[in-house]
Amino acid sequence: MSAGISKSALSHFTHHEVRLTWRDWSWLFSGRRNRSTNRALIGIVAIAGVLHLIGYGVLNSFFARGGELNQTAMAVITVTLVLSFTMLLSQSLESVTRAFYARDDLDLLLSSPAPSRDLFLVRIGMMGVTSWLMSVLLIAPFINIAAILGGAAWLAGYAVMLAVAMVATGAAVLITLLMFRTIGPQRTRLISQIVAAVIGAAFLIGLQVVAIIAYGSMSRFSLFNPEFLSAYAPQESSVLWLPAHAVTGVGGPLLALLVIGTLFFVLSSYIGATQFREIVVQALGVSEETRKETRTRRAFKMRSTSGALVHKELKLIGRDPWLLSQTLMQVLYLLPPALMLWVTFGEETQISVIISPVVVMAIGQLAGGLAWLTISGEDAPDLIATAPVSAKSRLRAKVKAVLVIVAAVLSPLVLGLAVVSVGGAAITFAGAMTAAACAILVQLWFRAQAKRTMFRRRQVASKAATFSEAGASILCAGTTALLAAGSSLAVIPACLLIVAMFMTWRMAQGTVEDDMTAFA
Amino acid sequence: MEQSRLTASALVINDLRKSFSSPAVDDLSLTIRTGEFYALLGPNGAGKTTTLRMVAGLLRADAGSVSICGIDAFADPIEAKRILAWVPDEPMIYDKLTPLEYLEFVSGLWSMDPDHARFKADSLLEQFGLADHADERCGGFSKGMRQKVALAGALIHEPRLIILDEPLTGLDAGSARQVKNVLEDLVAEGVTVIMTTHILEVAERMADRIGIIAKGRLIAEGTLEELRERASAGGMTLEDIFLEVVAGDTNAAPLEAGLSNADGAAA
Repeated sequence: MSAGISKSALSHFTHHEVRLTWRDWSWLFSGRRNRSTNRALIGIVAIAGVLHLIGYGVLNSFFARGGELNQTAMAVITVTLVLSFTMLLSQSLESVTRAFYARDDLDLLLSSPAPSRDLFLVRIGMMGVTSWLMSVLLIAPFINIAAILGGAAWLAGYAVMLAVAMVATGAAVLITLLMFRTIGPQRTRLISQIVAAVIGAAFLIGLQVVAIIAYGSMSRFSLFNPEFLSAYAPQESSVLWLPAHAVTGVGGPLLALLVIGTLFFVLSSYIGATQFREIVVQALGVSEETRKETRTRRAFKMRSTSGALVHKELKLIGRDPWLLSQTLMQVLYLLPPALMLWVTFGEETQISVIISPVVVMAIGQLAGGLAWLTISGEDAPDLIATAPVSAKSRLRAKVKAVLVIVAAVLSPLVLGLAVVSVGGAAITFAGAMTAAACAILVQLWFRAQAKRTMFRRRQVASKAATFSEAGASILCAGTTALLAAGSSLAVIPACLLIVAMFMTWRMAQGTVEDDMTAFA
Repeated sequence: MEQSRLTASALVINDLRKSFSSPAVDDLSLTIRTGEFYALLGPNGAGKTTTLRMVAGLLRADAGSVSICGIDAFADPIEAKRILAWVPDEPMIYDKLTPLEYLEFVSGLWSMDPDHARFKADSLLEQFGLADHADERCGGFSKGMRQKVALAGALIHEPRLIILDEPLTGLDAGSARQVKNVLEDLVAEGVTVIMTTHILEVAERMADRIGIIAKGRLIAEGTLEELRERASAGGMTLEDIFLEVVAGDTNAAPLEAGLSNADGAAA
């Protein structure tokens, strides 16, 4: 009887999880406005179509040359797989952390008569499937084009991605459990969120750092140079190239990867599921939020309205590990240009040409995230809106909070650059601040009240804002690089930037909510 | 005469109108006297919150006017907001701030003197039983504690008009009593309180006057005794009166005396 109930409950739960996953995807691809399956499918097909075109552009020349799996090709495939793995690990770590700490339906699940181990086994399984689907969505076009141009054996790439997704999900479960056991539930929440945010970027940045040190170049592609590979990469018979061989459909390596991936996933899922109940109970019992701040009987500080808002924003960002790690991730991308500046210090007077676009891009992205947090991500909108402050003053204070952080991040780099080239530093500073201003304007034009916890989804909430923000960053970076090189062609991206911002402004007209803007 | 009427009114709403897909507030007029505890009742979707959000400057009105202690809230919103406090049904506070930090932030928004603000903050935290939690982040607080922090934030700048939207929902008996005591003390000090509630006993016990709103219109208004007198039978509870009035309005048979009185009050 109880086995019957359990089976039926599990079947219901699996159906429930599949439905939630699909709704999540549907929300992601339909731009939140519409729940219709058609809209989500159109979104997925459109993205897949564009990626297929890109895949053809990338792979066509390789297969035209015969598609030989030489050391360079193996290195490219391996690096792509490692990159996918780090991205999936990052995503899975976040999913597992949320599964432990987000209350959502945990009370319901834990109080139900269905065995919690089996329920969580299903949940972990769905995490693995979601990871695989997510990676397939991005990689599939390349696999499909490779299969068309190089033969059906390349379809083995799907199986390899499945193995990678299983290992990444299993590893995320074990890493989170290990952290939980060693550093406790409170710190795990903080550390795992930071690790999840940083891990995806770390590999890419690591490659760039190696390229800078080895070649004095910020291009990661310089590492695929045959001379570099023959000097530093493993021999062709090395086990490290197994995944690359598996992608091309070689039976032995493919089977080995699948077996290893499946065993690892099953084992880690089982370990995770058996401990899930105990961990969740502990995690829900410990609230990070009940932390006591240092008790001080200090007097209140005299602050202007705008000062109070800026101080509040800085404090909230500083105290939120997840937001901090997201911000930190943008700052991490500034490390390679800083290293480049350090490595070539005194030798390269045109260094600003190389560095400025990267700095401008990173600052644009950083400002976009911060602007969303301060302008749209307000947890007490009613309080702010009923304060005796004009809407303009409120917005000015919020923009000031963003600029204070951006300036704090940008200043050391610009000062370092100024020692080598004052002109280059000035151009970089101006470009970065323009990118920041554009990002802030986009967020102002598309502002829509949301909880800060929605930060993770801000980029899918408004695709127009996301694309406008990215486009403005790219055009600012292009203008800055050309200006730093002394090229008059800089006028082209500069004009395009003005046009893009004008179009963004036109697009945003009427999208700002009536609520909260009364008496503006 | 005109001057004395204005200063005696904490809130005057005239012909206020707001439509979404259909009219939410329909030519609503209402006058609330200074130092009055006014309960605004109505079924779900009657337009209570929409009305009060327009008064608090959170929503743009389609038409009409709002005067807060003689200040035209639409023409001079900053001055109006200086003397007004709004407490929504869901306490909106920052999880990462402590109650003390939250109150410091609010006092900064209202440009209060820091020493006075600190004194007020300590006194409010004591009054609401939050003094021992003053340095804990609000994220782990219960609904009741969060509501009390939000209320302390609303009171720290010493408003003359306080608007509360369902302030007692979800509070335990102890917390509800604390909040009610604070509100009664405020009214005794001459502060005007407007509250929406579904807990009719609270309105029955605390309110000086009660307004009943349905479909965006004020359909009855008066003291509990006045409402009883106008109702079909004596000795009715507020719940009986409320149900009769709302049902009467739905069945196109409004409580005549109440309706005319409401119109008269708003005129």
